Amino acid sequence: MFRLKSKFIFLSIAVLVFTAVTSFAAKPPKVITIGTLYASSGSFATSSTSQYRGLKFWVSQVNKEGGVFVKAFNKKIPVKLVAYDDQGQTGTAGMLYNQLITRDRVNMLVADFGSVLTSVAVPLAKVHKVLLFDPTGTAAKFFTPDNQFVVLCSLPTSGQWPYALADFLIQKKIPRIAIIYSSNDFNQSQAVTLHDRLVKAGINPVYYQAVPTSTSNYSVLLHGIEATKPDAVIEFGFVPNDIAFLEGLQSSGLKFKMVFTIFPGQQLQLIQKNVGPKALYYTYTYPTPPLLKYNDVNFGPTLDSFEQAYKETGKKVDFLVVAGYNTGLIIEKTLDAAKSFDQLEFRKALAGFSGKVKTLDGEFKIDASGAQVGEMLPVAQFVPQGADGLDMHIVYPANLKTGNEIYPAP
Amino acid sequence: MRRRYLQALSVIILVAVVFLLLPRFYSNQSFLFNLMLYLGLAEGVNIIYGFTGYLPFGYVGFFGAGAYGSAIAITFWHISPFVCVILGGMAAVATGIVLIPLLRLSGAYFAIANLAASQALYLIVANPTMEKITQGPYGIDLSSVYNADAGYYTMLAVLVFAMVVVAYIRNSDFGLSLLAIKEDRVTASLAGVNVVRARSIAWMLSAFVAGLCGGAFGWFTAVFYPSTVFSLDVSVFTIVFALFGGVGTLAGPLLGALLLYSMYNFIGISTPQYFQLFYGFLIIGLVLFLPDGVASILQKGKVYVP
Amino acid sequence: MNLFVYTIIAGIMYGIFFGLVGMGLNIIFGVLKMINLAHGDFIMLGSFLAYWLYGFLGINPLVAVPIVAAVFFLLGLPLYYAFVPRLIKSKDPEMLSFILFFGLSQVMEALVVFFFGNNQRSIPSTAFGSAGFTIFGQRFPIAWLITCLVALGAFGFVYWYLQHTRMGRATRAVMANRDEALVSGIDVERISALVFCMGLVLASIAGIFSFFVIGASYPSMGAELTTVSFAIIVLGSLGDPLGTILGGLIYGVAVMFMQSYFSSWAEILPYVLLIAVMLFRPEGLVGKAARSA
Repeated sequence: MFRLKSKFIFLSIAVLVFTAVTSFAAKPPKVITIGTLYASSGSFATSSTSQYRGLKFWVSQVNKEGGVFVKAFNKKIPVKLVAYDDQGQTGTAGMLYNQLITRDRVNMLVADFGSVLTSVAVPLAKVHKVLLFDPTGTAAKFFTPDNQFVVLCSLPTSGQWPYALADFLIQKKIPRIAIIYSSNDFNQSQAVTLHDRLVKAGINPVYYQAVPTSTSNYSVLLHGIEATKPDAVIEFGFVPNDIAFLEGLQSSGLKFKMVFTIFPGQQLQLIQKNVGPKALYYTYTYPTPPLLKYNDVNFGPTLDSFEQAYKETGKKVDFLVVAGYNTGLIIEKTLDAAKSFDQLEFRKALAGFSGKVKTLDGEFKIDASGAQVGEMLPVAQFVPQGADGLDMHIVYPANLKTGNEIYPAP
Repeated sequence: MRRRYLQALSVIILVAVVFLLLPRFYSNQSFLFNLMLYLGLAEGVNIIYGFTGYLPFGYVGFFGAGAYGSAIAITFWHISPFVCVILGGMAAVATGIVLIPLLRLSGAYFAIANLAASQALYLIVANPTMEKITQGPYGIDLSSVYNADAGYYTMLAVLVFAMVVVAYIRNSDFGLSLLAIKEDRVTASLAGVNVVRARSIAWMLSAFVAGLCGGAFGWFTAVFYPSTVFSLDVSVFTIVFALFGGVGTLAGPLLGALLLYSMYNFIGISTPQYFQLFYGFLIIGLVLFLPDGVASILQKGKVYVP
Repeated sequence: MNLFVYTIIAGIMYGIFFGLVGMGLNIIFGVLKMINLAHGDFIMLGSFLAYWLYGFLGINPLVAVPIVAAVFFLLGLPLYYAFVPRLIKSKDPEMLSFILFFGLSQVMEALVVFFFGNNQRSIPSTAFGSAGFTIFGQRFPIAWLITCLVALGAFGFVYWYLQHTRMGRATRAVMANRDEALVSGIDVERISALVFCMGLVLASIAGIFSFFVIGASYPSMGAELTTVSFAIIVLGSLGDPLGTILGGLIYGVAVMFMQSYFSSWAEILPYVLLIAVMLFRPEGLVGKAARSA
């Protein structure tokens, strides 16, 4: 009995030592696997599939060049994308993130679109010590100093989105401001930031109301807003809210000196298709690539050459395609910089090049908790072009400015 | 009678042992957790639908109440998450008590009123004015107490509890009186069954099981939004699973959830575009050709289903 | 004050439209005593058909009404004969039909996703020109007026059918008591099929105009519409088509007032109304008892 036990202990030590030695002198993998999820149905489907296409396009581009350069092994290695469809359901998403981590043992993990579908991945990544590349999950609560396993690649956390917008409103000294927002994490955090900043500057919004995210008819709400005689109306919502708001504004015949909504700057085609270009005349928004062009790109293609190359897919470039592609670029840079092939080394590498990399999506800069602080969202305004075309001017901040705002709207 | 108890017991032990051992061979703990979750929820629906005929279309309301009750207890009182899961179950029971008047409605009216109640609860929890208590639209973050293993075994305990409750109801006088109510309320009350009391107890037990499931889910998932735990899909999946297996038995809902949830994952993910279509046709086919579920095939062959 | 007047008028127009939304569900319930849980999905399907006719063939939504109506009438017949007679013979028609129609709603949603994708689709309100009209000093889009007129036309048609046609009188007899109607020699099966198809047609017409009142259409919009419709017909009176109009009006005015004065709680209203009416006045505001136990 004793002998058997000691034999067993010896054997297990041997196995342990063997695995330790082999993993230390890790052989380069044949492929780098990147795991991600997308939603083919549900309310996030449009955005999620765009983001997925962008990432997929990056994979096909690097594989054309023989793979991605991995510094830890000092060679190029092909990339393989493992993607599952979570159908927009968080329960399924949790199961599939786990599948990617524990069954497929992917080397890099990329989150699905948006905060809701990213939320379930954050604790999983932390517990399994896998770095989560988060393209668009912008909820502030994901990013805490005690969690080294999440990095926000594309956008600032949603509470920071209206920084430039607040400055613009304050600088223009617009006295009467109405804020209407949909009651969800993403929109409420923006409304709260804007409200607080305005109050601090001595502007008390004349209207500040939450509406259900499912609101689809804004006619009465718009008349309620009009009753407070605002100069500027700021609407924070998701794509369906923005469509309903703009359509309601158009059909009611009400006019305000300034109107702002979030998504025309990200999903212009979809919104324009639903409300027509006239509803967007003189509307303000946060511009994002491809509407916003960064000229000082020092990593990856410029927006123009990306748009040129992307034509081969037969699809149009929208912001989420750029966000998905940009996540690929950040992964590429990470592998190019990390000294060893290890999740925490990846994180160190990211911190190392933070603030030094500029892609077609803007500056990549993260803080200690992994939240994006480099990219910021300017303020832009749509203006009529020709009979029923649209042009867009960036009106704030000054260093990005491409035109003067037309205020009040005619 | 005793033999039937033993058969039920062996089903329960078999399920428990399988889920105790499976994590050693299969590393996707989330899949196993979700499977247990739906087994537990299907048994919970079974308690109320299988034995009293009330179709709880808003069953997810209890699930959400459990998830939020438990999460709020963890956030404010900092007590053991395990205790909080039980408190989540109690929160669901409290919700159930508020909704007892709905049991006066019959058939589809009850189902729709229950659905409306679950949506109303969702909108209350998610309302911005509730932010101090529920975090409103911001959702819940329990990552400080996140423990996937503990959550997993808690869910296993909840599942065992649900199975024990169903096994008891299936083989007791209480269960018989519930079935009598299902058949005909008036006759049952004439035969001396306290209709209101019996159906209320079944209702609260069913709510308790869903609340415990919700609490365990919240702990296991750690970060969630109101829309996650009040998603109508939870009700729908659970009811379809239970119906497919065959309600009114212990093994039926287990079988239904096991088959359909596994299929959902392994086939559904490969060709998701046809999935909802497939599900819809499955439901229609079930109603038209197999209204009593898979278990009824066996029962027709004079096989006893525990 | 201005806002108050606006809210009332908008609420009435909104309510008239929602009367139309509930009408199809209620006449089917009246005759078959079944809840068509796919009702909202038929509205959704109607709106997508109208979108397609407008976007690809340039057919104006008003012109689309007879086309969509004909399509849905023809769609209703096979659906009726495939499911309903079998359900009526089953041991629990009320419950099983509920589940079956739910399955049907899933199939419909999946098919629409398959053909149209997940994106929102709209017919812009400018389809009727950009003119507005003014009542009591309040300006409203012309599309609202047209929607209301179509809805009132549909109510008029239902009223005429029930009160002034032979089939309509037979329909009322079936609504009152199916078994007695059978005994008295009425062709209950034919009437049921006809009314089922009419219910789908009314739903699809509501779908055509939903763009102007509810907003953009998307495949998963059905479930919420079904619940709202149910709240409206319970509010009015189950199985009484004309009570639906009252239910719609109350719902419309209440929603608009909530939006004006308690906007963040507006969404909860239909659910609370539904539960309250079921518990405290189950016969609806104008009808007779429909609750058991």
